[in-house]
Amino acid sequence: MKPFTWLAPDTTAGAVAMLREHAPDARAIAGGQSLLLALKDRSARPTHLVSLSGIDELTGVRTADDGSLVVGAATTYAVLARASLAGWHGVLAEVAGDLADRPVRNRGTIGGALCTADPRYDMPAFAIGVGAGLRVSGASGDRAVAAEDFAEGAGVTALGPDEILTAVVLPPLAAWDTVAFEKFRHRVFDAAIVSVTCALRQGPDGTVAETRLAVGGATPVPVTAPVAAALLAEGASAAEVGTRAADEVLPGGTTGGEAVRYRHELIRSLVRRAVDRALSDVRTV
Amino acid sequence: MTEAPPRSTTGTAPRRLVGTSVPRKEDLALLTGTARFIDDIALPGMVHAKVLRSSLAHARVRSVDTEPARELPGVLDVLAGAELVGKVKPWGDLMQDLLVGDHFPFATDKVLYEGQELAAVVAETAYQALDGCEAVAVDLEPLPAVVDPEVALRPDSPLVQEGIVYEFGDGNIFDRYKVRIGDFEAAEREAAVVVRQRFATNKQAGAALDPHGCVASYDSFTGVLTLYSSTQSIYMVRDVLADVLQIPRTKVRVIVPEVGAGFGSKAQIFGHEVIASLFSMRLGRPVKLVLGRGEIFRVGTTRNAQVRYAELAMTADGDITGYRDYVVHNTGAMSVWGNQVVHIGTNVGMLPYPIPNIHVDSDIVHTTTAPGGPLRGFGIPQVIWAKEQLVDMAARELGLDPLAVRARNVVDPEEFPFRTPMGHIIDSTSIKQCLLASADAIGWTAKRAAPVPYEGLGLAVSMKYTSCRHPSLDTDLSAVRLRLETDGTVTIYSSDVSHGQSHATMLSQIVADGLGVGIEKISLAPPDSMTAPFGLGTYASRGAAVLGTACRLATERLRDKVLAIAAHVLEVGPEDLDAGNDRVYVKGLPDSGIHLEIIAATAAYRTHQLPPGFEPTLETVATYDTPTEREASNGSGNLSVTYSGAAHAAHVRVDPDTGQITVVDYAMVHDTGTVINPLIVEGQHQGGFLMGLGMALSEDYVYDEDGHQLNASFKDYLAVTAPDVPELTKIYEIPAPSTTIPGGQKGAGESGTGPVPAAIGNAVFNATGVRFTILPITPQRMLIALREKERRGVATIRYPDDMPDFTGPRTPEEWPRPTAADGGDFDFDFDWDAEEDTD
Repeated sequence: MKPFTWLAPDTTAGAVAMLREHAPDARAIAGGQSLLLALKDRSARPTHLVSLSGIDELTGVRTADDGSLVVGAATTYAVLARASLAGWHGVLAEVAGDLADRPVRNRGTIGGALCTADPRYDMPAFAIGVGAGLRVSGASGDRAVAAEDFAEGAGVTALGPDEILTAVVLPPLAAWDTVAFEKFRHRVFDAAIVSVTCALRQGPDGTVAETRLAVGGATPVPVTAPVAAALLAEGASAAEVGTRAADEVLPGGTTGGEAVRYRHELIRSLVRRAVDRALSDVRTV
Repeated sequence: MTEAPPRSTTGTAPRRLVGTSVPRKEDLALLTGTARFIDDIALPGMVHAKVLRSSLAHARVRSVDTEPARELPGVLDVLAGAELVGKVKPWGDLMQDLLVGDHFPFATDKVLYEGQELAAVVAETAYQALDGCEAVAVDLEPLPAVVDPEVALRPDSPLVQEGIVYEFGDGNIFDRYKVRIGDFEAAEREAAVVVRQRFATNKQAGAALDPHGCVASYDSFTGVLTLYSSTQSIYMVRDVLADVLQIPRTKVRVIVPEVGAGFGSKAQIFGHEVIASLFSMRLGRPVKLVLGRGEIFRVGTTRNAQVRYAELAMTADGDITGYRDYVVHNTGAMSVWGNQVVHIGTNVGMLPYPIPNIHVDSDIVHTTTAPGGPLRGFGIPQVIWAKEQLVDMAARELGLDPLAVRARNVVDPEEFPFRTPMGHIIDSTSIKQCLLASADAIGWTAKRAAPVPYEGLGLAVSMKYTSCRHPSLDTDLSAVRLRLETDGTVTIYSSDVSHGQSHATMLSQIVADGLGVGIEKISLAPPDSMTAPFGLGTYASRGAAVLGTACRLATERLRDKVLAIAAHVLEVGPEDLDAGNDRVYVKGLPDSGIHLEIIAATAAYRTHQLPPGFEPTLETVATYDTPTEREASNGSGNLSVTYSGAAHAAHVRVDPDTGQITVVDYAMVHDTGTVINPLIVEGQHQGGFLMGLGMALSEDYVYDEDGHQLNASFKDYLAVTAPDVPELTKIYEIPAPSTTIPGGQKGAGESGTGPVPAAIGNAVFNATGVRFTILPITPQRMLIALREKERRGVATIRYPDDMPDFTGPRTPEEWPRPTAADGGDFDFDFDWDAEEDTD
């Protein structure tokens, strides 16, 4: 670790101003669960750390007037895991409570996961999978970004140097009837090798009206599989959807190296499981 | 003075502690966080050193300029390789009694592996030392890395060690090993089946939680260098360090604080111990140098990875008549113990079968990877992984039950001691009963008769050495000094470092029983070369048997002295006396007699009351060297004093969607001889199993083609964690007490590891029809192998080396090429950027 100056603003605007003032080597820090490791081995050397954890407006979960769920970017996994959230919003709590380990969940935040943009992290994939929107504040004002447009590569986001991710907004409950999240990892606290989010909405006649599939871990940023997802409404089986999703996410995945073929296989299996679970959820509702 | 309580005429006979689960004396300090580990040590005036390590695996050192570092605030001294040449003596392995000077504090002309020391900086704070390391200007010329040991064998391979002419080697082969017992070719001709397979094993880390590190403190007035170090052996460190520094051994003192495990990875001297010592001698100040996890992965020693071209001959009745193997043994870029591992691992790894015809050749090679060394099992898990799978393969070809074949072959002589063709002297064993009990515990017969899809059972048996006379180290001794203090308490001095083996408890139980002193009155002094008798250290599962025997002998000597004083005072013969309840008493009257406290005080403060001619004070020392043999030129010999049996039975379940392998149930039946403390031994078996599980399913060093380790952190290195472990409720002992060791003990520390990969490998085959020829069996490999099996439409497949129809090779060149790569393609090879390119 190298010496740095610790700054603790109490408003988002203050934080943005500090990032701007101390550019280019100022960094925002929320839970620090990725950044601290980089600081420790000196692969990150910020001169100033702008802490977001004391900014009230960045923490907590609330339901907006339109029914969307607004999650402060600096809300920790532990808080999310304990939150009682209605309907499929509750899957957010389940995902937050079943990643990394307890110390990481106590410090790590949903916004931190999105900004770190590790291809294997659950939260970016989940946000894309449910069609979440992100709110960003910067020196030039506030803007909204779709979750799927936020990560631009492994570890790279659309965030400008003096911008802060302020909230993750899940669409209203009516957007989906159910959401199923599946992942596979080595050890219980490891990041997922592949994760799959399946969001599903029925039409008035009980058939599948809309399906959204997102796959994390297999590509530099989590991606959706719209072609495979559309098959479900056409009556394809979960297994067929899985096979199609694997080819869609990893074209040529059956002929690559072992690591590529394995991810291709996992996409097939996990999409099938997620779709099966989503379908059984809506049928029992 | 108060009146003595009324005495009963019979009293309470003292309770014997050996054989009981006395709570560990170590636990209070460990569980309350008061135990002091190496990084807890803070000495007045202490300064901090850090090492600059090579980021390249193989490179020519053009220059190392330390001057810029000297300019930085807080920096006190900087060292690099060139200035030490001629001043510091190289060290290394004793190979066939020749010293190989392949170790030096820093790379001088060439870097041989990633993480090798290039320079070091000492400063007022650790952060300033790191700043100093960054300022050192290094100019390296990259050379091609050699990661694959079979590539290292090729004549056109880049040469790793250039400066050393090896007596017995050639190119990157720095030593060779062979075994010639009986006539394998005759066995091959007469066998009903010979099964053959190429097996590869992994490079596993020690992964001790307590880091490698030390504090060196040189006293410029006395000239004594004190080294506090997290090590398994104080005298190996002291003797080599004194030799390296060319100072008398009386001027080096090695002290060991609490050591949070080693598993073999701390059983030698390391560069950082020399570097801290040099800095302290130059500055006259204490210097702390504790390694980070990434450094420990790269320079702490690892399990030696092997490629084995193994063959096993079996008669139609299921008798194992021959074993032939060509072993490529990868010890990394340099190694103190590496070549010993293939010797002892192969010799002892032939057990528990008295195989009459054995033919083994091994090339021991250098690669530009992390140094290999001892690790829990010392080469035996690698042999068992190959041999115990071959047993299943042969049984299958002959239509025999793997349990019946093993039961027929395990050593089960009519009379003990029994000498096997390999030369082992089996002084006692219950391995056959262990085997049958393990199969019974897992439900072998019923479950094999009613198979469940994707579930399977597997067996493996091994016998692990207890102590070892290494081919390069003609000694196998430990020593204990005991002092009955003047208040009746006892101090035990030993140089064999307890780092999880509970020496304080185990030795106290022996002393308590022998001397009749309460266990709460007995203490184990910290290992300190200034006070402890000479001993080799804690490795080779030798603690209970070898150190325990030394302790038993010292206790008997002390007891004789104590009884002599009591006999003189009580005016009876010493043969009429017994010791117990903190006193010496006339036999049958345990509540009478003289308290040890009185006897101890008499021996020191009232010497006129001692028997005539009695040498005052009560202190004894005993050294026990095992009656083991040196290795013969044909590879045979009884290298171990006795052998612990281990029979394991695994029940696994495979998820055909993800490849995840779950160990549903696991039975371990061991012969650990006379168990001093069942609680400690059970803990050793649990830990041994965990290390075997990691070797079987997840752990490996992953290198890229440039020799960079891709998983040098606990985040990426897949060490086993608690949720991965099945309920280990089936751990049983069937003791066959050693007849060579006076107390009957056998080694406990490593027998839990050996059979695990093979038992799981056999169970995976039973579950899926996939015979893995490589470790670890990751979910990725499992799933890809299943798909390959489906694609080919076959019932069974060997993966990744599938060569089932091949017969009759002799030299490795004649073996077919593997059908799939066994290097690389581990999870960490997955490259998102590469995927992007193909999109």
